[in-house]
Amino acid sequence: MEFFNLKVFRYDPTKDEKPYYQTYRLPVEKGMTVLAALFKAKEEQDPSISFRYNCRAAICGSCSVRINGHATLACKEQVTKILEKYNTDTIVVEPIGNVKPLKDLIFDFDYLLEKFKKVKPWFIPKAPPPPDGTEYRQSPYDHHKIDFASDCILCASCVSECNALKANDEYLSPFVLAKAYRFAADSRDGARKERLEAVLDHFNLEWCVRCWQCTTNCPKEVQPYESIIRLRIIAAEEGYKTPGERHAEIFEEDIKERGMLNEMLLPMKQEGLLGALKRAPFGIKMFFKGKVNIADFFGGHKVKRHEEVEKIYEKAKEKGKQVQIRIPQILGVVYEDKRKTRKRANFLDKGGNE
Amino acid sequence: MSQLKYAFYTGCSAKGVAPELYKSTYLVAEKLGMELIELEAATCCGAGAVQEKDEFLSLTINARNLALAEELGLDLLTICNTCTVMLRETKFKLDNDPELKEQVNEVLAEAGLEYKGTSEVTHFLWEVIDGVGLDKIKEMVVRPLKDFNIAPFYGCHIIRPVYLIGYEDPDNPKSIEMLIEALGGNPKDHEARLACCGFHSFWSAEDEVTLRLTAMDTESAKEEKADFMVTPCPLCHTQLDAMQEEAEEKIGANIDMPILHLPQMIGLALGMNPKELGLHKHVIPTDQIINKITASV
Repeated sequence: MEFFNLKVFRYDPTKDEKPYYQTYRLPVEKGMTVLAALFKAKEEQDPSISFRYNCRAAICGSCSVRINGHATLACKEQVTKILEKYNTDTIVVEPIGNVKPLKDLIFDFDYLLEKFKKVKPWFIPKAPPPPDGTEYRQSPYDHHKIDFASDCILCASCVSECNALKANDEYLSPFVLAKAYRFAADSRDGARKERLEAVLDHFNLEWCVRCWQCTTNCPKEVQPYESIIRLRIIAAEEGYKTPGERHAEIFEEDIKERGMLNEMLLPMKQEGLLGALKRAPFGIKMFFKGKVNIADFFGGHKVKRHEEVEKIYEKAKEKGKQVQIRIPQILGVVYEDKRKTRKRANFLDKGGNE
Repeated sequence: MSQLKYAFYTGCSAKGVAPELYKSTYLVAEKLGMELIELEAATCCGAGAVQEKDEFLSLTINARNLALAEELGLDLLTICNTCTVMLRETKFKLDNDPELKEQVNEVLAEAGLEYKGTSEVTHFLWEVIDGVGLDKIKEMVVRPLKDFNIAPFYGCHIIRPVYLIGYEDPDNPKSIEMLIEALGGNPKDHEARLACCGFHSFWSAEDEVTLRLTAMDTESAKEEKADFMVTPCPLCHTQLDAMQEEAEEKIGANIDMPILHLPQMIGLALGMNPKELGLHKHVIPTDQIINKITASV
């Protein structure tokens, strides 16, 4: 391919009624990044394109944009790789999703900043520094627990395709929860409760749908999803009773008592008798569709060799307290077609008015 | 044919609210020459819930599930996306951390078990494509799905995260489209192809998040005039099918989008009886699909 189309989202609220797209034809150059392509279009064809950038080396987090539907840093992605990834001759560059576009590719970060402030994203010491003049100290494992979450560059790529945020803009969003975790999990931090209360307002922490999209988008492998799950563990440890915590309890009980989850009794265990009554019409509907297993209402049966599970459960509960599980490092793990058989879908350019 | 033999991990849903998935999986597997040895001693994978309360417990329980497949000397086959990611996460963590593996094995030894790491965790969709092969499936089709516009709904845990799944590009997968094409159908790209059904936040954010996503997903398939959506995950199915009416109520609009399990779609193209495949067990009626498919022969 000699040339490709760089299709850019254009919007200037001072004169445009609504956004439109403008396409620039550019030569395909080896090693050219999407940010470099934006520069080339700006310098040679249209000086009016607006976008944020600074370091050009995936460190500052300024140039996050949505490329063919997925947010990432424009300076990190190569044009040739994107064209191959999406089987296309067109690269569509838009502002990241779930936020308000301000001008062309520039979006409103203040909206995210307001959410960010709620979790007090700064260190609040538990105690004054050691009197001998040394620094605050922590064990290597305590450091390991927060290390991965400390690398966030606030590019907001994780915000763009977040499913929970897409459904509800009251959701705090992945990087905010990840930062809350980074401090709540810090052995030197003294504001754990405050942070937990901020993220548990309306159980916001549990609005996460576990879609792993944030971790997939993150250009720095910060794994916001991992932080969200670990923050839930901390909330449970601190004694907060949440629907998610109750849900986990039911799963544990069912594994211990019978092996498999009892889906029939789940609503009653989760929400009590009143809650179950609220769900009754749904249950009746499911019954008439043959989706209800009557035996399970009376406990159902155990999986085979369940005595093994009982032994393992007891022992794991006892031993688990001393085990220090390490958080996997996923630095540099990218999708690679090992079998050379996987095809990729053709990128469907939904058009958008030019 | 004997190499297409798997330790079959059903998961809770296929034994609970999605009996039609359980049955149609067996029917289709048999037809395709896949032999499924059911792991009747397996437990629930924890579905992410146990993982967020007691990580070590979830790892040992799933190490046991994997050890059961290892006992048979077979790869473990799942029919649920969340089971897939949970089992693969356990395998990833234990295989990359010898110390943790040893600690887990100390617990398993209580029950005379050991996790070695010799069995892979694979999903029905992947084995249909890589094990059976799309060429063979093409030959077996007796009722091409040519009259159907089919909207794939991958479900999160069969594409993300890449370090645990890695089967195809999470930003741009194609396996379900490839399968639909092999069955003679027309895959329909739509906005929610790679989106989330909302299932996992149901109990904490039913109104705030879950039902809104369910409505967006099914509407997105409707916008593209799909005849039905197909998903490889029973949790997505329960959410999109059984909860669709609740989602409709939420947005005050009719959607009426039938949702099929992956094996049901394959079964229809292979000439199987829609009733045997359990199409009548869905909350959103599948009559139009059944009428169309029986008329096409």
